[in-house]
Amino acid sequence: MPTPDISIDVRNLTKRYGSLLAVDHINFKVMRGEIYSLLGPNGAGKTTTISMLATLRMPTEGDALVEGYSVVRERTKVRKVIGVVPQDLTADDELTGLDNVLLMARLHGYSGKEAEERAWEAIKFMELEDAAKRRVMYYSGGMRRRLEIAMSIVHNPKVVFLDEPTVGLDVQSRRHIWDLVRELKKEGVTVILTTHYMEEAEELSDRVAIIDHGHIVAEGTPEDLKAKVKGDRIYVKLKSDAETTKAIEALSKDFNDVKEMNGYVVIKVESSADAMPQLIKLLSNFDVTELRVVRPNLEEVFLELTGHGLREEESFDAFKFRRLMRAVRS
Amino acid sequence: MISETGVLVERELKKWVGRRGTFFISLITPVAWLALFGKSLNFVSMFSAAGVQAANPIIVKQYVDQTLLKLFGTTDYFSYLATGMFVVFAFFQSVFGGVNIVFEKRLGSMNRLRMTPAPRSSIFFAKMIATLIRSFFYETVLLVIAIALGFSLDFNVLNFVEAGVAIALLSMSFISVFEAIGFSVDNQEVMFSIVNLVNLPLMFASPALFPLRQMPWWLQDIARFNPITYTVDIVRYNLLGLHSFNMVEDWVILLGITVVFVSAGMFVSLRILENY
Repeated sequence: MPTPDISIDVRNLTKRYGSLLAVDHINFKVMRGEIYSLLGPNGAGKTTTISMLATLRMPTEGDALVEGYSVVRERTKVRKVIGVVPQDLTADDELTGLDNVLLMARLHGYSGKEAEERAWEAIKFMELEDAAKRRVMYYSGGMRRRLEIAMSIVHNPKVVFLDEPTVGLDVQSRRHIWDLVRELKKEGVTVILTTHYMEEAEELSDRVAIIDHGHIVAEGTPEDLKAKVKGDRIYVKLKSDAETTKAIEALSKDFNDVKEMNGYVVIKVESSADAMPQLIKLLSNFDVTELRVVRPNLEEVFLELTGHGLREEESFDAFKFRRLMRAVRS
Repeated sequence: MISETGVLVERELKKWVGRRGTFFISLITPVAWLALFGKSLNFVSMFSAAGVQAANPIIVKQYVDQTLLKLFGTTDYFSYLATGMFVVFAFFQSVFGGVNIVFEKRLGSMNRLRMTPAPRSSIFFAKMIATLIRSFFYETVLLVIAIALGFSLDFNVLNFVEAGVAIALLSMSFISVFEAIGFSVDNQEVMFSIVNLVNLPLMFASPALFPLRQMPWWLQDIARFNPITYTVDIVRYNLLGLHSFNMVEDWVILLGITVVFVSAGMFVSLRILENY
């Protein structure tokens, strides 16, 4: 039996598609009322992990307990206690927002007046009252996202999964959704969030799991993780490749960790403030076109741990893209 | 399960009525079918056009009637065709019933249903029931139009119910199979090719438009494997008193087909719904 404070207990969860190991024996625990993020690039296995926890896909191996119920053997019980906000827009755009939320309430076993009360409550929580009776096809991108969340929380779930909740949204809508997620936490809901935006993970999460190629490569609070990359990084861009090579040579004399990355000279230092005078002196004979100091952030942690960045080519489904664009316009 | 199915059927019907364009086009379709198909195949005028003329038009009429009677078992080809059309139209509705599954899968709304604790079978049955309700509505329209165009009918409630049940069983069979195909296929174009692959051939390889007797032997053999054949036979027997097979044989075969098709369709659909 799980301890009372553990909301999600993932044990050797694995998903294989043919020869591709999308999720490879991952383990983690999420406490009740925690916001837990899976941070990683597209294709890292975040969505597959969430799909298995939300009983949308069957694990090839391993299991996970969600509020004590197995996602392999007690799928209906899991479905009753979770709310899922998927990456795709899933509301039926031929129906009104209210109809969509009401449908979810009813499919979760509420009927009549109670279903309606719950639907309105969720709609108010997501601040969609004015648009509730409009058909979803006339919603803006931010409104659609909020509707998706309203549909997922109408039955007061104990756990909410948010898969890339702010992709394609403007800053304002993004902040709005962040506020609502914090609100959920206040009400004691466990939130599992996937994202490839490090700001999002940093801003919202109590704990973050960094996931790459189906593995969890690191886990901890954003502060713990940032402590893994000690010090700052200084990125220097020079006019030519020849200069870059020469600069690396010159800088390596005084600094321990100097590397070339994507055309930049990257110098890792404990404190950029202390290193700057010496650096400027060494670079005085070079033609510097860009100089940038990066304080530790999750993107740097990811880079450090995996050797590559968070943003990579996204898989492209024209059909979904068009729908997303239609939603985001206006 | 029953309440969830009800909720989902309501959703389907709401969308159907909400799509006003499609709703009205679908209303016009049966009119076009019966009026154009039924009335353009006017054998009496065909014979006269072919130059079968005589001093006495009554003789021509007698000759034509005799030929029709021999071919179709009735001189009223329009009624013969109308009974076939009732079946074919319901069949087309059921075959297309699976198409929107492909869209709902791609657009995500199917995934949304899968996230709820609603039994997977309620998703399957809701589609079936909604398609049956739509078909029932259009069949009624079709019947009214047919009567307006001269469909001669001995009204008898029992015969009517029997014909309706046969059409419902045929629809359930094909809805189930095409739901399964809809769940299996990821692309709407593949779905449309499959639909087109079966709908016209199955219509022509059945006695819906012409009697089996007039077909080449190989087509007759194919028609015997076609569920539409038995449904048309039951409907025609109940509404016009014409039939090619024994009624017991028709019913046993139709029921057998329904059990097999519905179980197979349901098995495949539920498996995919649980894990796709």
